Amino acid sequence: MRDIFFDLSVRSVRLNFLRSMLASIGIVIGVVAISSMGMLGTNMQLQVKDQLSTGADTLVITNDAVRFGPPGSTIDSSSTSTGITKTQLLKIKQSAGTGNTIIPIYRSSTEFTLGSVNGRGTVYGLAPNDVTSFLTLSNGTNLDGMNDALVGSTIASNFNVKIGSRIHIGKANGSETRPVVRVVGIIEERGTSSDNVNTDNAIVVSRDWYTDHYGGEDQYTQVNVIVKDIDTISEVKTAIDAKVNKDPDSPVIRIQDASSRLSSITSTLSTMTTFILAIGAISLLVAATSIFNVMMMSVNERVQEIGILLSIGTEQGEVRRMFLYEALILGILGGCIGGICSLVIGYSVVGAMIGSTAYFFLPESIIYIPAGMIIGIVVCIISGLYPAWRASNMDPIDALRSE
Amino acid sequence: MTEIPLIRLADVSKVYPLESGDFTALNHISLDIMEGEFVALMGPSGSGKSTMMNQIGILDVPTTGELYIAGKNVARMTKLERTHMRRDTIGYIFQKFYLIPLLTAYENVEYPLILKYKKRDTTGKADAILNSVGIDRVMSAHRPTQLSGGQQQRVAIARALVNDPKILLCDEPTGNLDRKTGYQIMEILVGLYEKGKTVILVTHDPKIAEYAKRTITLEDGRIVES
Repeated sequence: MRDIFFDLSVRSVRLNFLRSMLASIGIVIGVVAISSMGMLGTNMQLQVKDQLSTGADTLVITNDAVRFGPPGSTIDSSSTSTGITKTQLLKIKQSAGTGNTIIPIYRSSTEFTLGSVNGRGTVYGLAPNDVTSFLTLSNGTNLDGMNDALVGSTIASNFNVKIGSRIHIGKANGSETRPVVRVVGIIEERGTSSDNVNTDNAIVVSRDWYTDHYGGEDQYTQVNVIVKDIDTISEVKTAIDAKVNKDPDSPVIRIQDASSRLSSITSTLSTMTTFILAIGAISLLVAATSIFNVMMMSVNERVQEIGILLSIGTEQGEVRRMFLYEALILGILGGCIGGICSLVIGYSVVGAMIGSTAYFFLPESIIYIPAGMIIGIVVCIISGLYPAWRASNMDPIDALRSE
Repeated sequence: MTEIPLIRLADVSKVYPLESGDFTALNHISLDIMEGEFVALMGPSGSGKSTMMNQIGILDVPTTGELYIAGKNVARMTKLERTHMRRDTIGYIFQKFYLIPLLTAYENVEYPLILKYKKRDTTGKADAILNSVGIDRVMSAHRPTQLSGGQQQRVAIARALVNDPKILLCDEPTGNLDRKTGYQIMEILVGLYEKGKTVILVTHDPKIAEYAKRTITLEDGRIVES
């Protein structure tokens, strides 16, 4: 059987249904604002994280550190070149430790022609055995022969590339003296990868083919170090830095830690989420004022009833409970309606703003709905505290005399 | 052996501080009411009848003097103990009935039982009491506003009686009723007195006061006749 004080509260809410519903609408708006904004921020974070998580275990080493060196720093002879030298690569291999994979990469941008269609993209020069260590083929086989090539998913779909298709590399010049590669495999979509190897709009050829046509042997554009244990990434980074950048004031290589870049981006997004959540919280503050107002009205309208309750032996705590139940009912009403609205509105907002609802139902995203509901209910109860206290502390004689 | 009075006022005064100066509503009142008495409190408006009822009903405490209810000094009781005494020992019947508008007649009577036993009544006591004051099951399902004045006062009497209190405080119980219904209510109160309840009645009406076995007349906060 239900608590009679709860029954009294339910009946009071029913008696003033319209007023109670209007007060609850404030909570509905607050819950929707908090939940939707929270889900939007989280979905953004999840999407960015997912896009950047490829290569999170990878150190990207380039020789452009000198460009970021302190004012007055001089470029030493070994770093005047445009790439990582053979000597630097050796030092990287020595300091990276065992078990970690070192991948020297050549890269250049190029024009190409497929059939009669011209395109532009990136050419990567990789050792065939390095390809399999960080790229996944969706079709075909790995590089084997000298003129074999792999193409990224964007090129494959845009140019309708099939296994065996031939690509002319270089700017179209009317004659067909340009080098030709034969597509043997298609690389799975990678998106924006934090290891700085974006193959979707690229052609991957063997290192030998690349240096034969572009030159720059042993002048690698970048070297990627894939660490076996991601927890050791900082140690490996420090070791390489100590070995190659002997003078900290004049670094010769730049080592980028993908995970720190990722955490920096997610931290920024997290701050943004907190900010938009705070905006949502303002609407809850407005709702709290509305609930407080309704509760005070309820207390003021029921002064004589409170006097009766107190005079016939109702404890102060029981009177308090009755009014807190009323606040709780308003909170539950607002919270539940707000929760349902959040699901619909949040889904639409996430879909419209991010363009994907793939992460919407993940626990870290959907948790904002119950969290928003709980916050809404708690706000209602807090708003009801003073009115409930005031009701329970009334003088029964004065309360009975009131009309 | 001397019998201990159920209600004892020992030199009780009640003073209300007002801007125009202190107002003495009760002025050094000493009074004993024994268990099983039927007392009528009479006097003109402002004589202190309601103030005395509030003291005996421990809705208020004396400014000076001591008040004992069932042998307990009210001044030494905590707020919660006073609440429990109002719930268990005293039954109130008001001129304006003061039923809880959100509850049905039955729930109004059941309410003090819930306060005392912290659970809904499953013993049928609320029904039995309502029946004894002439309210049937159909009427008891109605809200107070759907009942006549006489029916509301009957429900109020049932509510006052349901926890079997020793003292019944009746503040002008017939004041809002027609003469015939008023006499019916008084017959119920006489019946309760005959069953051993201590009934204290505040009234302006000498005919109603005649039902009581003892009349105390107040004037300017003092007892002028007892």
